[in-house]
Amino acid sequence: MLRKIRKSLVWYAFVAPALILFGIFILYPTLETFHLSFYREVVTKQEFVGALHYLRLLTDQVFVAAILNTAVLGVAFLILVIPLSLILASLINQLRVWPDLFKLIFFLPQVTSAVAIALIFRYVFEPNSGLVNGTLRLLQVSPLPLWLSDPRPGLTGSRAAVTLLAVWAALGYYMLIFLAGLQAIPVELYDAAIVDGASPLQAWWYVTIPSLRPTTVFLILTGTIDAMSRFSDLWTLGGPGGSPGRSIQTVVMYIYQVGFGSSDFNLASAAAVVFFCIVLLLTLINFRTFLQREFSGQ
Amino acid sequence: MSIQAVSASELDMPKRARWRPGQAVSLRAASIWHQIAIVTVVGLAAVAMIVPFEWMLATSLSRAANVSLPAVPSLWPPDASFFNYGVALANLPLLRYYLNSIFVAVTTTLGYMLTSALAGYAFAKGRFPGKSALFVLLLTTMMLPFEIRMIPLYLLMRNLHLNDTYAALILPFMAGGFGVFLMRQYMSTIPDELIDAARVDGANEFVICFRVVLPLCGPVLAAIAIFNALWRWNDLLWPLMVISNPKLYTVTYGLATGAVNTGVYTGVALASAAMAIVPLMILYLLLQRYIIRGIMLSGLKG
Repeated sequence: MLRKIRKSLVWYAFVAPALILFGIFILYPTLETFHLSFYREVVTKQEFVGALHYLRLLTDQVFVAAILNTAVLGVAFLILVIPLSLILASLINQLRVWPDLFKLIFFLPQVTSAVAIALIFRYVFEPNSGLVNGTLRLLQVSPLPLWLSDPRPGLTGSRAAVTLLAVWAALGYYMLIFLAGLQAIPVELYDAAIVDGASPLQAWWYVTIPSLRPTTVFLILTGTIDAMSRFSDLWTLGGPGGSPGRSIQTVVMYIYQVGFGSSDFNLASAAAVVFFCIVLLLTLINFRTFLQREFSGQ
Repeated sequence: MSIQAVSASELDMPKRARWRPGQAVSLRAASIWHQIAIVTVVGLAAVAMIVPFEWMLATSLSRAANVSLPAVPSLWPPDASFFNYGVALANLPLLRYYLNSIFVAVTTTLGYMLTSALAGYAFAKGRFPGKSALFVLLLTTMMLPFEIRMIPLYLLMRNLHLNDTYAALILPFMAGGFGVFLMRQYMSTIPDELIDAARVDGANEFVICFRVVLPLCGPVLAAIAIFNALWRWNDLLWPLMVISNPKLYTVTYGLATGAVNTGVYTGVALASAAMAIVPLMILYLLLQRYIIRGIMLSGLKG
């Protein structure tokens, strides 16, 4: 018996460093966020206030706008990036020359920090003579879009610009993951399709796309969470307020602004809890639709 | 497209001379024209990926770009000089930022790899009460986004008087669920016979972990190291919260705040961006094989 305990003690020593760090830096602060969100700081003491901060959030137009912004930017990003990267991956998968070179090029933005990309795109979208508008002028487009200076919703404003930026930056990553999925599709499926007389395009539509469902769900799942936590690039472009006109302020920027601009850590904690619940809900929805489709398909 | 229909349609195969089973691969291996068309489309997309970087370099080399950009975007500086780079370096102590970023990335990565390897080994090959419960707990922490804990984490650092120190940038990231999980998955595939043989030879578990198992974990260790280094390097939110002393700025942080000040001088701002990007790109070109393989294996992102 004693020997058995001594034997397992070794294993506890193995997991101890990771678990202690998890406890201090992950579990404790996570629980503390929930705790703080129900209190308010009075002089140096924390006083219980129930759901007050959550009510404040509900009635705070800035918070609601930040949530809507995050959702709009996230949906627009996913709608563009998923089909584009899928098509790109399918094309690169058929390439017999330089496939690795293209993988390398498309992945370049991923090793560039979001901050540096935002900095470049601030000038790429510069209204007078940035790369985009300079090119549009060459093409005789008029009037030229104002991009990052235009807070209005629409295809030429700040939200469109930051969505294009995000798609450009993430395309290579999504393409690589799709490529890994493509290469896992058994060749026999294509053989069967060909035997059935399918054209290459039909084979792509009826074999490739359904076979990539797990990959697509994985990308939508992680993409949703990434879009929800978007921060660095938009902070670089618009500051914590997401200027112009708060048009690119996301939830995390709101949490940061409330916590560190107004030093209201309790309200910021409540916002973080709401953020977490949304992320959790989206994850569950994604999983559920995935599982449902898997079962109904059988 | 039903697969069951295969045998039925095989009967009228001779009529469809164009698609014979032996030629099944021909769906991928198409004609030269097919390849040229694909290269053209993919090539155009690749140009769209490179042009912003090229334009950044061209503009950063042009002194005139600080006053006004040419009406037609130019991919070659009309007045090439390193003037902007000198100004950028005088404004932003980029070398210092680089040293800070390297220090933080290297220390967190070493710590992260160590804690992940130790815990991963125990979860893969160990036997102890509570193993599966602890592993589930660990998987749960992977689901918790950083944002849900950042406020109390900041307050914790403040109470420990660690804000504005390297420790604040390093300590919270010395362990992570992803690392343990990846190590555990990879180590599970290592045959037990190998470990038992070492045990018979009288080696203790730590020796086995470091001498026998870890040397076989090269690919997964490389993936973990690369991702952790990229995460730390690119992080803005956490340094923004705990660091206010410019001497401790990371490259990402320095660039984000510096951009606000040099913003009106396009050439200078893009020169600082270039100096933050180009060294990493060179590193990426050197390590690309591991990075791309690691991503395709783990689905993780930089």
